[in-house]
Amino acid sequence: MTTLSGAPVANDSTLASGYLHLEGLAKRFGTTQVFSHINAVIAKGEFVTLLGPSGCGKSTLLRSIAGLNRLDEGRIVVDGEEITALPPQQRGVGMVFQHYALFPNMRVTDNVAFGLRMQKVPHEERSRRVDEVLRLVELNVHADKFPHQLSGGQCQRVALARALVVEPRILLMDEPLSALDARIRGHLRQQLRDIQQTLGLTTLFVTHDQEEALVMSDRIFLMHDGHILQQGSAEELYTRPRDYHAAGFMGHYNILLGDQARPLLGEGFDSARVALRPEALYLQPLADGAMGVERPARPGPECPGVIRRCQLLGNIVRYSVECPGVVLSVDTLNRGSRHLLTEGSQVGVVVDLDEVQAFVE
Amino acid sequence: MSQNADLTLSRPGESPLPALRLAWPSPYALVVWGVFTLLALPLLATLGYALASSWGATLLPDGVTLKWFWELWSTPRFQWAFARSLLVTLGALALSLVLVVPVAFLAHTRYPRLDAWMSGLILVPFAVPPVVSSVGLLQLYAGGPLPLVGTPWILMFTYVTIALPFVYRAIANSLRTIDVRSLMEAAQLLGATPFKAFFLVILPNIRVGVQVAVFLSFSFLIGEFVFANMLVGTRFETLQVYLNNMRGSSGHFTSALVITLFLFTLLLTWLGNRQAGHAITKGANP
Amino acid sequence: MKRLLPAWLWLVPFALVFVAFQLAPLGWIAISAFHVEGAWGLGHFREIAGSTFFRQAIGRSLEISLISSLLGLIIATLACHSLTRTSGPLRRWMIAFTNMTSNFAGVPLAFAFIILMGANGVLTIALQRLGLIDSFSLYSRNGLIVIYTWFQIPLGILLLFPAFEGLRAEWRDAASLLGAGRIAYWRHIGLPILRPALAGTLTILIANAMGAYATVYALVNTSYNLMTIRIANLVSGDLFLQPNLASALALVLVGLLAMVTLIQQWIVRRSHYVAER
Repeated sequence: MTTLSGAPVANDSTLASGYLHLEGLAKRFGTTQVFSHINAVIAKGEFVTLLGPSGCGKSTLLRSIAGLNRLDEGRIVVDGEEITALPPQQRGVGMVFQHYALFPNMRVTDNVAFGLRMQKVPHEERSRRVDEVLRLVELNVHADKFPHQLSGGQCQRVALARALVVEPRILLMDEPLSALDARIRGHLRQQLRDIQQTLGLTTLFVTHDQEEALVMSDRIFLMHDGHILQQGSAEELYTRPRDYHAAGFMGHYNILLGDQARPLLGEGFDSARVALRPEALYLQPLADGAMGVERPARPGPECPGVIRRCQLLGNIVRYSVECPGVVLSVDTLNRGSRHLLTEGSQVGVVVDLDEVQAFVE
Repeated sequence: MSQNADLTLSRPGESPLPALRLAWPSPYALVVWGVFTLLALPLLATLGYALASSWGATLLPDGVTLKWFWELWSTPRFQWAFARSLLVTLGALALSLVLVVPVAFLAHTRYPRLDAWMSGLILVPFAVPPVVSSVGLLQLYAGGPLPLVGTPWILMFTYVTIALPFVYRAIANSLRTIDVRSLMEAAQLLGATPFKAFFLVILPNIRVGVQVAVFLSFSFLIGEFVFANMLVGTRFETLQVYLNNMRGSSGHFTSALVITLFLFTLLLTWLGNRQAGHAITKGANP
Repeated sequence: MKRLLPAWLWLVPFALVFVAFQLAPLGWIAISAFHVEGAWGLGHFREIAGSTFFRQAIGRSLEISLISSLLGLIIATLACHSLTRTSGPLRRWMIAFTNMTSNFAGVPLAFAFIILMGANGVLTIALQRLGLIDSFSLYSRNGLIVIYTWFQIPLGILLLFPAFEGLRAEWRDAASLLGAGRIAYWRHIGLPILRPALAGTLTILIANAMGAYATVYALVNTSYNLMTIRIANLVSGDLFLQPNLASALALVLVGLLAMVTLIQQWIVRRSHYVAER
């Protein structure tokens, strides 16, 4: 077994059971390096999200795994078999595209049956399997319709059925929910995850939507500029970002320079940059423990500030608090209008020192 | 576009030698070049003939000269033919605009069903070959109450009908891109009569679409021969008829004429594209 | 706000010109075709059907039109497919060039071809020197097919290109991941989607060829027997003019074109593909 070199590596327990191995993948386009040093080991049945801003190379990476792009360096191994040199037809990879890519000249059944037809599966078995998978995505009623007669969400479910029916070893999804309405997105998100777990299908999911990644994934690979910045569970990535790029992408971190953070963290503090989550900051009039409001586990020094803005976001209240030298974003749960602080009020800001992410640069 | 540019869909993923990859043009480019050559051959041969001092039954001309062009352009008969072509074409286009713009405007605003009708009507000149129409035209207008055959008028009017598809489509599309209703309403609220609103507000805004229509139709009409020959012939000799009548003279001379015609069409197409380009950068779409 | 004139009045000038110069001639033809020496009858059509001369004209027109349209379509298809796979300046220039050559048909084209492939044509001599052909007559059926094909190509490209551009790369990607090779993709997805455009373009090309007059006239004058030449000759030639017979023949031509269009519509209706919104 070869050793993996380069950036983040999965923990030892998955190495042995690794189903999908990405080793040293790199791709150039012209003079631009689209991605490089991509190393990962993904377990069977795991749902991994490639998360990152537009242009970070995640879609290109996904397409390279599918065989739709050529890799410049590296190997891809699935279930012990190297597939790097294989054409897309032979990789055993299924893919769902952002804009569905349904064949407009075929009905739903024919679209879904297409892969089985290519595998020369006999007619009866084909019908049976198509039927089964359409039932799984709840689209039997629409089996005879053409793509232009379906809604976006329905199209995407057909696309999913088409990818699943051929029983791929790996499922790739390229921002499958980005083209849909917010309402449908939430519903389909859950459905996708349920189906994936039922089938135990190893899945790579690409998105730029941080919330989607947090909700759906077993593990998240955060990408930036063609590299994997950090990988880990949703919880790890959210509460312990590795550097200020990662922090900037996840949540609404307050990212401060060392000097700006000193009033909140105390004199003994010495880091180049610091990331503070808005919910890890507490406002003094509210944090006195009365009325059952939580208090910081390990409070830092209190720093005086003035409320500049109060935004009611539904169940969260977001305050912009101006402290000497910096403006902080502080989130609290909405406990009712009696607890709302008005603009202009003087407050004290206290940080929970256990939740501080300090970075060297 | 990086994903679309990588066209290696079903080849194995080995890294190719970069040098080798650059040296080979893609088979697709080769096909395009092939078809281009196929289409360019007659033009190139004619160009060669127009520039050759003499060319016998050999593979290459004997010498190069511009004398044929000078001779052509200084021939009064050519100049008259050119002038006549311009007159008839410009006249037809002007008439076309005057007749069609109100129709397009009304179809767009007051009578939406008219647009469907017009879309059908403009197919007629496309569907009916000019030879066929000539049969009727010659019978109807050769004598009797409207003896138009043999005069430039009949040519002008028939040209209006064959330019119709281009002109109507271009104007209708232009109108579609500007919000005609809102502009008219705004203008009228500010005191303009519908008439004035149309002239001062709508027309200037569809100017570009109109220009594109004009350039498109211009090159099309300059190349028209059937009506020109059958309905008017030598009584009002336009460029194409002149060319045909010159068939007996020197091949070099006629080649120079063909090239001149082609260059003129080229100029018109280039101008038309520039207008369309301006339109796109300005945000309107002809 | 009182209107000076009712709005529909603005439609009248156009209607007058269109009726007078497009519809009236057609009407005259439709009527006079059935007028045989002062009385109503099908005499002209019988004459056409009975004359080998006219039948030859019809047969030849159909033959040349069909062959040149098919050849032109095939070449245009290859060109369009390749164009969608090239990018940048080559593509732009080719499309611009196609636009320009599409207006080149007619007398200038005939002359250009005489220079290229006439008895002393450059290409003729070149091919003779290479020993590929010994004699080639431009003024024959094959010569006409060559010219016709030439002017069908740009038209075919301009009509087909949007359809080819409409083939999304994603469909190809999805198909290959599902196991389809190049042939399977074209067979199940590419060609079915293109079928309406291909049929429509073929129809237009056939109509274009059937109605072509200028090119042939400039090339062979009246010595080659085609429908359009015959029609024109019956109304403006040197011999005895027979306008009613010309009308009948013209109606046959229009009838043939209508039939071709109907067949194409039937083909298109059979495709289920509907263009995406």
